Amino acid sequence: MLEFLQICIGGLVVGSTYAVIALGFSLVYRVTGAINLSQGGFAIIAAMIGYTLGVAWGWPLWVAIPSAVAVTVGIGMALGAFTFVPALDRLSNANVLMLTAGILTMIEGFTLVVWGSQPYAMPPFSGEAPLVFGPLRVPTQAFWVIGATGVCIAALWLLIAKTKLGTGLRACAENPGAASLMGIDVPRMTLLSFGLATLIAAIAGVTVAPTTSLQFDTGRLFTISGFVAAAIGGIASFPGAVIGGLFLGLVTQLATAYISSLFSTAISLLILLAVLIWRPSGFVQARVGKRQDTRDEAKATGHVARLPSNLAWPAAALAVAAALLIPFVVTDNGILSGLVIAGILFMTLMGLDVLMGYAGQVSLGQAGFMAIGGYTSGYLSINTETAPWLAILAGIFVSLACGLVLSVVTLRLRGLYLALATLAFGLLVDSCAVGFLDITGGPSGLVGIPAFSVAGIEFATPRAMYYVVLALDLVIFIGLTGALRSSFGRALKAIRSDQMAAAALGINTVRYKLAAFMISVTLASLAGSMYAFFFNFLSPEMVGTGRSLELVAMLIIGGESTLLGGLFGASLLTLLPTMFQPLAIYKTFASGALLVASFLYLPQGLYGAVVQIAIRLSRPKTNTEAKTAAKTSARVL
Amino acid sequence: MPLLELRAVSVGYGRNRVLQNVNLTLERGEIVTLLGANGAGKSTLAKSISGLMPAEAGAILLEGEPIETLPPAERLRRGIAHVPEGRQIFAGMTVAENLALGAYASPDADKSERLEFVWALFPILRDRMQDLAGNFSGGQQQMLAIARGLMSRPKILLLDEPSLGVAPLLVAEIFRLIVSLRAQGITILLAEQNARQALSIADRGYVFENGRITLSGASKDLLNSPDVAERYLGMGSATEVSGAASAALAGRLRGVLFPDAAPAGGAST
Repeated sequence: MLEFLQICIGGLVVGSTYAVIALGFSLVYRVTGAINLSQGGFAIIAAMIGYTLGVAWGWPLWVAIPSAVAVTVGIGMALGAFTFVPALDRLSNANVLMLTAGILTMIEGFTLVVWGSQPYAMPPFSGEAPLVFGPLRVPTQAFWVIGATGVCIAALWLLIAKTKLGTGLRACAENPGAASLMGIDVPRMTLLSFGLATLIAAIAGVTVAPTTSLQFDTGRLFTISGFVAAAIGGIASFPGAVIGGLFLGLVTQLATAYISSLFSTAISLLILLAVLIWRPSGFVQARVGKRQDTRDEAKATGHVARLPSNLAWPAAALAVAAALLIPFVVTDNGILSGLVIAGILFMTLMGLDVLMGYAGQVSLGQAGFMAIGGYTSGYLSINTETAPWLAILAGIFVSLACGLVLSVVTLRLRGLYLALATLAFGLLVDSCAVGFLDITGGPSGLVGIPAFSVAGIEFATPRAMYYVVLALDLVIFIGLTGALRSSFGRALKAIRSDQMAAAALGINTVRYKLAAFMISVTLASLAGSMYAFFFNFLSPEMVGTGRSLELVAMLIIGGESTLLGGLFGASLLTLLPTMFQPLAIYKTFASGALLVASFLYLPQGLYGAVVQIAIRLSRPKTNTEAKTAAKTSARVL
Repeated sequence: MPLLELRAVSVGYGRNRVLQNVNLTLERGEIVTLLGANGAGKSTLAKSISGLMPAEAGAILLEGEPIETLPPAERLRRGIAHVPEGRQIFAGMTVAENLALGAYASPDADKSERLEFVWALFPILRDRMQDLAGNFSGGQQQMLAIARGLMSRPKILLLDEPSLGVAPLLVAEIFRLIVSLRAQGITILLAEQNARQALSIADRGYVFENGRITLSGASKDLLNSPDVAERYLGMGSATEVSGAASAALAGRLRGVLFPDAAPAGGAST
């Protein structure tokens, strides 16, 4: 009993932090209708700055902590003003969500550059000695965390419900157009809500810091827990966020204590998936019905970049020729390996593009299928000496089975709930990859996977693997291009631009969405297997949620709904760090920053930019210029 | 000096110009109506006056002062209230909150006095201050939207399609209300598709076609003009012409939709 109480106190402390982050989610959602995944990043930045000021520079904590919060809010407002606020006008809500994932990645990368990857520990605010209540021992920091949570909740409630400013904020949430007619400056209110969310995230970060170890990617954990808490409680309701946070904290702590720490995340995610199925709007229903939000619909992106056919054929021929010759020119094994990795990721990205770019379905858990495929085929070929191609098929089969189960949830969801469900799925796979020690080798990974081979011929060197991957990519690319030019592709695009209108035209939206999903699952699983065969090794972080977010970044940077864009994104993000080793530490930051920049300034991605340049160069229609244009695009390939 | 004057105003969404070179004046105490079909540019004009859509070219003068570069909040403070098409009330908030938001940009001291004014016009609102606005009927929501617009003590009320989606009985009431607002010294710019009813209460009118003003004048003259009668009042020879035109259109559509049945239609796809 005593132990139980002790655990519950721990749960309340963790839960309070989740509740505050969830409150931030709820606040931004209510004002803008968008989800801000960067929350947890600001929490960790505040904690890290607090550490630097308070511990490294030796400032007294009562100066260091408020300063850290203030600096974080400053950073947050600046980032918000240049990314989040302009994005709300231009992007659909699902894309805003991915943009904020990019901001989160940027913050992680920034933290990595400044503070490195080692863990830090903050001292508690009021000494190490816990308070003793009879047999119970409560660390003093618990009071700080719970107290700060209480203050945040009360202050936010007062602001929203009782002040004129709060009414203005709620008006923006209700109807931004009418709000501006009332003389409310909607962009400023949006920025204000972003700043407030940053403020409470920063407070959560600094108060919880002494109870945990801080690392550059701890922020992701805060974001995910806060997001899950908000979704369980009901994202449109403040009490819901608080209840969801406390509930999640208690459940994870009890699960850690009585079941296993390896599965505590899995349990919370299963709860989330259950909530999404049976009660998608969460425990607490908001008084206002579902937001009627025009931004839920994908904004039409105008025309999609496409090379005119007089350029496309020569460009394609040149590209294939160049690709075939690369291994003879590039002898550096590191760069060649980078190309192989980019080629493998390109398989996943083509699938992801069918799903996201064409059918408009967000997926933040695509690497989960890479993991399922990779682990299945790796396990089979180590333990049963199955032929690699059979093992790959088995991996695809298992992935499709998992995908079918997941689709029971995802086919009913749209927009942010879809993003949430797929994210949860990816995380669930992560925690299974870590938890099922016997099959996956746990955190240290699955070792001794043989190289890829067909009929006894081994493809062990990067050069051999390069040709295997190139062949697979070509086959998949040609197949998908054909499929997308048929009625299948048109149906997917119809679903993307308006699901209801598509259904009204007699398109079986469920069937097409499922088909797109299954294509993406198959390709992700195949890529995961190839990945495992190439490295002869597979560990959870190689195919974890970080990878999922990176995949999305690659697709957006390269250019959505172009099929080929993924190759540009994958090559850029894989080759740059390989070619410029000293800059590798900036990779995370760069991938986040590039994602955000592409969303804002390159709506058609790198591929779109290249195509536009090619078209412009070829416009005078003289033969030589068309050729150079084709060459420039081929060279990037 | 006119209360409001538009000089050569052009407005566009991207490359498409929605309004071209619009000149319009509004004198104190007038009711002026904007007539025209869907998409002719009436709502865009209202938006450019209230500042929701910036004018690309031209000048908008309120009491002789240019306001075309001011943000919506400032124009509201200077006395232009816009009651948008489709009411756009805050459905999840109470009547009291909706009205309070109407006075958001004005000093707080005015609020209770304005509430009395609005309650006198719409007694039903006083009893339902704590009800959610979303639970109101279409007509009641329109009343609330107008009341919300009046909370800012406007000199000019821009009413965009107040009869849209409102039961006919209530439409008559809304038009009576508009006349009584004029008696209170509020100048009214009324965009309407319901031309006959709008002209019956308006002093003057402007007819919009494809973003340009094609006709303007006193209501009486407009009511008697054969152009207006044909196009917007459903009278005269144009009805027969349009009957023939719509039959032709239906034929063409049939050709597009069922090319096998009507071989002649195949060419039009």
